Amino acid sequence: MLEIDKVSVIYDSSQLFANLSLTIQHQEIVALTGPSGSGKTTLLRCIAGLESISAGVIRLDGQDITNRPAHLRNIGLVFQDNQLFPHLTVGQNIAYSLKIKRVSKQIADQKVREALSLVGLMHLLDRTVINLSGGEAKRVAVARALIAEPQVLLLDEPLTGLDIDLHGRLLEDLSKLLRARGTTVLHVTHDKTEASAFADRVLDLRQLIS
Amino acid sequence: MATIYNRSRTINWLALAPIFLIFVFVIAPVINIFVSSLQFESLNLLRTESTRNVVWFTTWQSLVSTALALTVAVPVAFVSANFKFKAQRLAASLISLPFILPSIVVGVAFLQILPSSFHRTSFALILAHVYFNFGFASRLITARWIQIHPHLDDAARTLGASPFKLFTTLTLPLLAKAITNAALIVFTFCFTSYGVVRVLGGPSRSTLETEIYFRAMQLGDVSGAMIFSALQVVIIAFLFVVTTKATGKKHEQSTRPTITRQIPLRTRKQRVVCTAIISSATAFSIVPVLAIAFRSMNTNSRFTTTAWRTIFSNPEITRSITKTLTYAVTSMSLATLLGLLSACSIAYGNNKFRFISGLTTLPIIISAVSIGLGIIITFDTQPFDWRGAQLMLPLAHTLVALPLAMRIISPVLEAIPDSLRQASSVLGASPRQTWLNIDFKIIRRASISAAAVSATVSVGEFGASSFLARRGTETLPIMISRLLSRPGDSLQSQAFALATLLVMFSLAIIFIVDSFTKDKFSRDSHA
Repeated sequence: MLEIDKVSVIYDSSQLFANLSLTIQHQEIVALTGPSGSGKTTLLRCIAGLESISAGVIRLDGQDITNRPAHLRNIGLVFQDNQLFPHLTVGQNIAYSLKIKRVSKQIADQKVREALSLVGLMHLLDRTVINLSGGEAKRVAVARALIAEPQVLLLDEPLTGLDIDLHGRLLEDLSKLLRARGTTVLHVTHDKTEASAFADRVLDLRQLIS
Repeated sequence: MATIYNRSRTINWLALAPIFLIFVFVIAPVINIFVSSLQFESLNLLRTESTRNVVWFTTWQSLVSTALALTVAVPVAFVSANFKFKAQRLAASLISLPFILPSIVVGVAFLQILPSSFHRTSFALILAHVYFNFGFASRLITARWIQIHPHLDDAARTLGASPFKLFTTLTLPLLAKAITNAALIVFTFCFTSYGVVRVLGGPSRSTLETEIYFRAMQLGDVSGAMIFSALQVVIIAFLFVVTTKATGKKHEQSTRPTITRQIPLRTRKQRVVCTAIISSATAFSIVPVLAIAFRSMNTNSRFTTTAWRTIFSNPEITRSITKTLTYAVTSMSLATLLGLLSACSIAYGNNKFRFISGLTTLPIIISAVSIGLGIIITFDTQPFDWRGAQLMLPLAHTLVALPLAMRIISPVLEAIPDSLRQASSVLGASPRQTWLNIDFKIIRRASISAAAVSATVSVGEFGASSFLARRGTETLPIMISRLLSRPGDSLQSQAFALATLLVMFSLAIIFIVDSFTKDKFSRDSHA
């Protein structure tokens, strides 16, 4: 369970939001909407440990993780622009977290293959990430985040910029995949239709501020 | 790159000038060096122990200098690329200062700050080479580091990478090409370093470059000098080929990220680390320069301005000041014009003239000393006996500055999207009007920077000048070297005063150009 308790964030000397509270249950998929500049992405970055908060507490399964560094939180984040490592192949990108954890090569290879077949990209294993299409890159980014087995997966506008057909297909695939794996998800989007099609619960960021 | 100028025949004419100049004054002399050296019996020189010692010393001091320069440069680049702090621009300028200093000035500076027991030692040489190159290396690495999207770091952190793992698995591989390129350039500079070795090394610490000079000008062994010159060209060319092949496949993200990596210093640890790194680097950059200025006003252990008064009243020295400035203006104009012509030929030539890029690299590979030697052995018979010609020195300076001038202008010109030119054309502009109003306006700042760099190169050029300067055409670096070789404290003080003057000339050129481009172009951007 992820608990965000009365969190305030100051950004560039001005208050972005104050006293924001939100609880996400285990295996729940929550979508968070709100206008541009309301602080949706910043909230995700605070949860992931990439930005610090000025007040409040963030708990994961009851443990206070407010001051824990990002690499020790076990919270995954899929960036809006994917941020695939350009010097690594598709397979190496997905295996990155396993390499960090020093998982044996044999097990890592097997897990990468499983993750790639899960997102339907087995044929791209050794391909460089530079020339991937938008949809392929997104699938690789999701597979890379999932293979680390995060306790919570944060999705930052993951379908922005994709054409309508691909958007619909990927939304459906992603929803099926995450539900099948029982992943706890916080999905940020400005698209309310996408939010209600994807999530168990849709919240507006402005309503979370007390 | 296909541009609207591709069909113009003018491009062929533009390309002719740099091709002709490099062929006549670089390629032909080098071919002459190779052919002549192969004909001599003294080819046996390559097998002697003294040659092996010179090659070994040149190589190992270059390797150690490069490794140490990079060791200093990487932390400076880390701070410069990742943090915003007060006086950042000033610190960056001061850290870059050593690289614009004439090499003889660097040698003279370390002669002053090091105790005499360190003079003529490898330590002094290596320290001076680190000083000369670390700022330049840190600039190259910073430029690449700043392009790494900060969200890539974030992605690695959310995937479990600690700061150390992040550096080894992400940052370092992405910086590999920049670090390798910086290492290659620094190694080449150390390998072909001349002014620093002449002043600090002395006869016992001879490198290939000083050995070429020593054999040709002191021993009269021109054939031996040519063999050493050929050997040096082969080694440097081999290094360039190997490194280019090794780094060719490495990924290079060329665009600047939409958000900056540089964050303000937030934690105490960040402030302490950044202050320590930047203040040490800045102090390292300016102390030797201040030491020269101090020494110029210190004769026989007493404060005096005698040395300064003497240099401005000695007709031989004032003539060399005038010559230095005249050559600087001439070679600045020539190098900028030729750099511009080369860059235009490459950008508009539709791959036909891409080889000019490699051609203009030759003066770096061949080194200034070999260019000087090549010219005196090639143009030594009538009607081409040009060794004493007035234009020869500024021409040699131009050849040394051309690779830098071309490389400053070319990337800016190649980055101009052809759509801008097409938009200009459909609005009724002729190709000439389009060039003047689009291309030229965009590259003029780079052209001014190229001019400044060319002028500073000329002011401090020592390698080629050592071969080509005649009585009455001595430049300031030659004069400094001459004064240093004579005994007497007052003559030494005069050498230090001239070295200070050289620093002032270099700084003045950079300052004038910087203020001009800042005012001019900030006005343009507001318009």
